Amino acid sequence: MTGNPLLQVRQLEVVYNRVATAIQGVSLDVPEGEIVALVGTNGAGKTTTLRAISGFLPSEDVAITDGLITLRGESINGRIPHQLAKAGIILVPERDKVFATLSVQDNLAFAAREDGAMTVDRVYGYFPRLRERSSQLAGYLSGGEKQMLAIGMALLCRPTLLLIDELSLGLAPIAIKELMERLREISRELRLTVLLVEQNAKAALSIADRGYVMESGRIVFSGKADELLLHPDVREFYLGGAGQADSKSYRDIKQYRRKRRWWS
Amino acid sequence: MEFVATVVILTCTYALLASGIAILYKAGRVVNFAHGEIAIVGGYVFYSSGLMAGGSPWFAVIGAVVFSVITGAFIYVAMMRRVVGEPFYVAILITVGIAIVLKAAIIVIWRAEQVTIDVGVAPAIRLAGGATLSYMDIASIVLTIAFFVVLHLFFTFTRLGVQFRGTAENALLASQRGVNVNLVLSLAWMIAVAAATLSGVLYGGRAFLGSASVSIGLAGLTAALVGGLDSLRGAVVGAFIVALAQYLTVRLIDPVLSEALPFLILLVVMSVRPWGLFGTVEELDRV
Amino acid sequence: MARAGTNLRTSYLESNEVLRRPYQKLLIVLVFAAALILPFTSSDYFLHLVNLCFLACIGALGLMILTGFCGQISLGHAAFLAIGAFTTVVLTVHAKMPFLLVVPAAAVSGAVVGFLVGLPSLRFRGVYLAISTLAMHYAIVFLCTSYQANFGTSASAGITIADPVIGSLRLSGEHAWYCFLLVLLTLVTVGCVNLVRTRPGRAWMAIRDRDIAAEALGINLTRYKLAAFMLSAMLASVSGSLAAYYSNVVTVEGYTLDLAVIYVAMIIVGGMGSVLGGLLGAIFITLLPYAIDSVFELLPRAWRFGSTVFGVQVGAVGLCIILFLLFEPKGLAEIWRRTETYFDRWPFRYRPLDSTRR
Repeated sequence: MTGNPLLQVRQLEVVYNRVATAIQGVSLDVPEGEIVALVGTNGAGKTTTLRAISGFLPSEDVAITDGLITLRGESINGRIPHQLAKAGIILVPERDKVFATLSVQDNLAFAAREDGAMTVDRVYGYFPRLRERSSQLAGYLSGGEKQMLAIGMALLCRPTLLLIDELSLGLAPIAIKELMERLREISRELRLTVLLVEQNAKAALSIADRGYVMESGRIVFSGKADELLLHPDVREFYLGGAGQADSKSYRDIKQYRRKRRWWS
Repeated sequence: MEFVATVVILTCTYALLASGIAILYKAGRVVNFAHGEIAIVGGYVFYSSGLMAGGSPWFAVIGAVVFSVITGAFIYVAMMRRVVGEPFYVAILITVGIAIVLKAAIIVIWRAEQVTIDVGVAPAIRLAGGATLSYMDIASIVLTIAFFVVLHLFFTFTRLGVQFRGTAENALLASQRGVNVNLVLSLAWMIAVAAATLSGVLYGGRAFLGSASVSIGLAGLTAALVGGLDSLRGAVVGAFIVALAQYLTVRLIDPVLSEALPFLILLVVMSVRPWGLFGTVEELDRV
Repeated sequence: MARAGTNLRTSYLESNEVLRRPYQKLLIVLVFAAALILPFTSSDYFLHLVNLCFLACIGALGLMILTGFCGQISLGHAAFLAIGAFTTVVLTVHAKMPFLLVVPAAAVSGAVVGFLVGLPSLRFRGVYLAISTLAMHYAIVFLCTSYQANFGTSASAGITIADPVIGSLRLSGEHAWYCFLLVLLTLVTVGCVNLVRTRPGRAWMAIRDRDIAAEALGINLTRYKLAAFMLSAMLASVSGSLAAYYSNVVTVEGYTLDLAVIYVAMIIVGGMGSVLGGLLGAIFITLLPYAIDSVFELLPRAWRFGSTVFGVQVGAVGLCIILFLLFEPKGLAEIWRRTETYFDRWPFRYRPLDSTRR
């Protein structure tokens, strides 16, 4: 681990509606300037982790019942989203990531800051397709364009830590590849720290520096991204597993030979 | 000509009310049943502030502005903000409660005396056809038009206006982009209360303020529903339709029916186009 | 010795029981005993208040079923009360029908009107439904106003009705009314409790929670929504009819939108979704203005403007609505339930799992 941890999460526990524990004992470090991938299957708790870092609205019945989240050493547990946004933590959510009833131009104007080193023009530079569509209502954009717009809006908020939830959802493989590459370029250029949550583990780990794997509300694996890409268990469960072509029947696959109890 | 003058001024009154209702619905998905009461209380505050300062209109304006700011912020912060996640009827019933409390305030504080707001200028303009328009009437029309123009410019072109529209659509996303949602929604309430107060003042100048005047609230609500609950354009159109229909009913059919008339119009419009003329077509169960 | 908690049931029959624990049965016996002793120990004025409460309870139970159980927001309850009162007027004055026929007839007319008012509920939900019931309110009040205007010169102060006569008994005076209303209210309450814990009640609650899902489960929305409206209107109509007989005068000015809101306040304060809530709410809101009056009696003379007292009475209802919705949305019935559960679970703590309260 080279950089200083920009974000540190220790033993985080989040409970919905006072009865459903979504994540438990989650600890991760996001070093400054790196791209960290958080992968896992549906329902693993990845989105909850991101939401806990970026803040819940008081009207939602969810509580951080344990653990500590620190940004550059300062605790940010339980603050509301707009305070954290001002502190530089920007979340690009999975759904409803743009304002569908506003035009592209208005969406970007919404997020733009007056003191911006990042301007709307620069965003158009990163995503030229948006310039062509600048007066169109955001609700009518294609999936990929919406994603670009969402990232553009996030960049305009001058993030120190960018949290992205399910970047690749609903996108064609080639679009995913382009978008991921663009994201890596931008992150290097702006020295932006990114925490990327993905079900598409291959795409995420291919641009990330580090990775964490979540399962049933806990972190079960962590390490450098390229090491994770080669790890047999990760390959089997998340990357479509090499070596499965050699096996004769399903009974040979490890998945069926032992129970998936990561922590025993 | 008298007909035109009356209908135009009534339209202004209802349009201001309907626009406030539309803003509140757009911002918080709340249908405000207390709007008429807010308008009349606002009118009374204007009147009393003016009286306290020995008849100075500027003081009255200041009083009305202060009232709008405080009431709007209070209603949002103390009540509406707390019931955000709950079923739709909770917020609506709270506004019903607010309406009752304001009605009680009229009785207790102002003894429900009927007052007219008199700016002290005699009817000044004679129009063709024998109608007279006082300066008050002209001021009403001008102010209403100015209000709508300013509002339109605000929402379309200013940064705060864009933030308003975004927050109205998705408060969580707005908050995640650095917008203080509580501030924006309080502002929405302040603007709505200000519009209602202006409407109350205009109504008090043309007609009178008293316990019975609160019925303009329901007419304003009808105007908003006919035009589309989330549309400012619809507020004006709906107001015109209701004002016209009311005037015709009082003159040609039966004055007693005029209180019930807005609802009959509403029933007709709702059977044909439930979202109102300019409202966004949406699943009805969202209301 | 192990003791089953209030929530342990071992059969469907058990889960449908109304009175589960011995202390609840004891409580009911005590309440009835008190109710039987009451007329012998109280003043006429007190019995008058109780009778007003009883009348309000019948009407409130109607609204509780429609809004509290079936989830259809209705602002038209005052109109249903008016229908009952005016049906009574028409039948006693023009047709000279006896009391025992008029009240059921009022129930029938209420059912018919309820059916009509309920028709929009098949198309609208939520606010739009509330607005359409509001429109119906104005329409009905308009009809009653026209009727009263055409009634004759004496009608400006209201139309008078004679005391009801059952056989050779004349129903007048607080004591007689008390007995009659107590029996009627008991029957209505038992009827409602039974309705609510069997199929119609479950259907209504399903409709309230998510009517699309209820329809998918095979619940006939048309039938149950209209049934709720009809039943609600029937109870209100009966209440209105009896109120007309009780006060011997009927005037349309009494049936305002404010009255409808007062009934809505009753079910909010009592707690939507429970019969007990309907009763508690009706009693609370009916007695509230009298309680405020008593408070004002204690204050120095200077404070006691007539209009001030009236204004405070009006405002108190609104304040109750707001405060209960903000702080105790499940009403007085929930307070009762919490107390019950506290003692039941003692020494374990009671922690509500309800996700809508923080």
